[in-house]
Amino acid sequence: MAVVADAGVLYGLLAVGAGLATGLAGIGAGVGEQGIGAAVVGVVAEEPGFLGKGLFLMLLPETLIIFGLAVSLILMFAWTPFAAIVTP
Amino acid sequence: MPVLRLPKFGLPVKYAYITGRVRAMKTKLIPAEMYARMMNMEMAEIARYLEETQYKDEIDALSKDYSGVDLIEHATFANLAKTFRKLEEVSIDEPSFLILEYLRRWDVWNIKTIMRGKFYGATDIEIAKHLVPAGELSAEYLEELAKKDSITDIISAFDGTDYSSALAQYDGKNLASLENALDKLYYFRMERAVGGTLSVGGGLLLKYVRREVDIRNLITLFRMNKAGVDAAVILENLIPGGKLHGELSRMAGQPFGEFLRGLEGYPFWSSISDIASADMDAVSRVEARLKAYLIRYAWALSNYHPLSILPVLGYMVSKETEVSNIRKIVRGKEAGLPAELIEEQVVVA
Repeated sequence: MAVVADAGVLYGLLAVGAGLATGLAGIGAGVGEQGIGAAVVGVVAEEPGFLGKGLFLMLLPETLIIFGLAVSLILMFAWTPFAAIVTP
Repeated sequence: MPVLRLPKFGLPVKYAYITGRVRAMKTKLIPAEMYARMMNMEMAEIARYLEETQYKDEIDALSKDYSGVDLIEHATFANLAKTFRKLEEVSIDEPSFLILEYLRRWDVWNIKTIMRGKFYGATDIEIAKHLVPAGELSAEYLEELAKKDSITDIISAFDGTDYSSALAQYDGKNLASLENALDKLYYFRMERAVGGTLSVGGGLLLKYVRREVDIRNLITLFRMNKAGVDAAVILENLIPGGKLHGELSRMAGQPFGEFLRGLEGYPFWSSISDIASADMDAVSRVEARLKAYLIRYAWALSNYHPLSILPVLGYMVSKETEVSNIRKIVRGKEAGLPAELIEEQVVVA
């Protein structure tokens, strides 16, 4: 198997992957939140007391970004198999 | 074979705001058990109770002009018009279009009210009190119409609109044919406007409306078959466009017992099976059950399509029913009807 020796290219690809992990998770959370946000505003317009509960429900999809962020951090700083290839 | 139509990406989100809002509004509707309690209340008590609910503003505003039954009736109608206008104003795009199409039934109601008022010689002020400007025609426009001198003037005011063909049915002697034509026109326009869009939301609205037409036709059949009316007359009164139109048309003019046997097996049969019998004396209880079935149907459909026009539709039907229930109770009590008779007419889903 051919071993890519250019550490710079590998490290760059790693950074792109890490960026995609957080970025796509963010887009997914946004898509999920658009409906929830609109619905919460609708309910709060009628029942102002619902605001706290509504905000909590609206923020639930944000947890997806944390998964994405965790994957990014692992890729960038803690994924050891790559370390062996990258190190010449 | 049913065709699976997937919504376009992002489309149901258009409904998120309005469905969230109507679901919150639904919690403010009067609970079903209150109707039984209202039957034991005095008129002033009912007005006081309504003041604690969503009708507060209207009761307060109208209490200087009216009292007793009139106050409650006008306040509930004013609130209905305000609520429906609000729904129309706070929605955009497809939901707004579909809500307006549904609310055109109140235009038809108002035109009928003005026609009836003119026919029986009521003054424009009296007519204006009974208008419910919840549809497309504004209160000012309707009041202008009510000020016109004769029925023919009103009919000519609609020249060039869709209504003119239905209003041309007026023969100068009675309003029945004109009112029938207006009802048919409403459903025809709905089918034309909403069916033409081929949108998922429009399809769902039509699904409900077709069932509604069936139930309205069924109520007509119950009344007329019970009275032994000629089949040709019944067929004239049936509204085309329902899903079961062909089957229901064949039931026109049947002997009552045979007609009831023919209904077994339809989805609405289970809601009336315990009270529908060949020797029943009045069909009002069946009518109330069928209307309740329709409300349950709208809400049941909305469980399958939570982000669609159906929750809004369910709310509008529930609200209309609530207002008509309150009216039935206060008018019934004022006329001194026995409680059981009023209870039969009240629609509880």
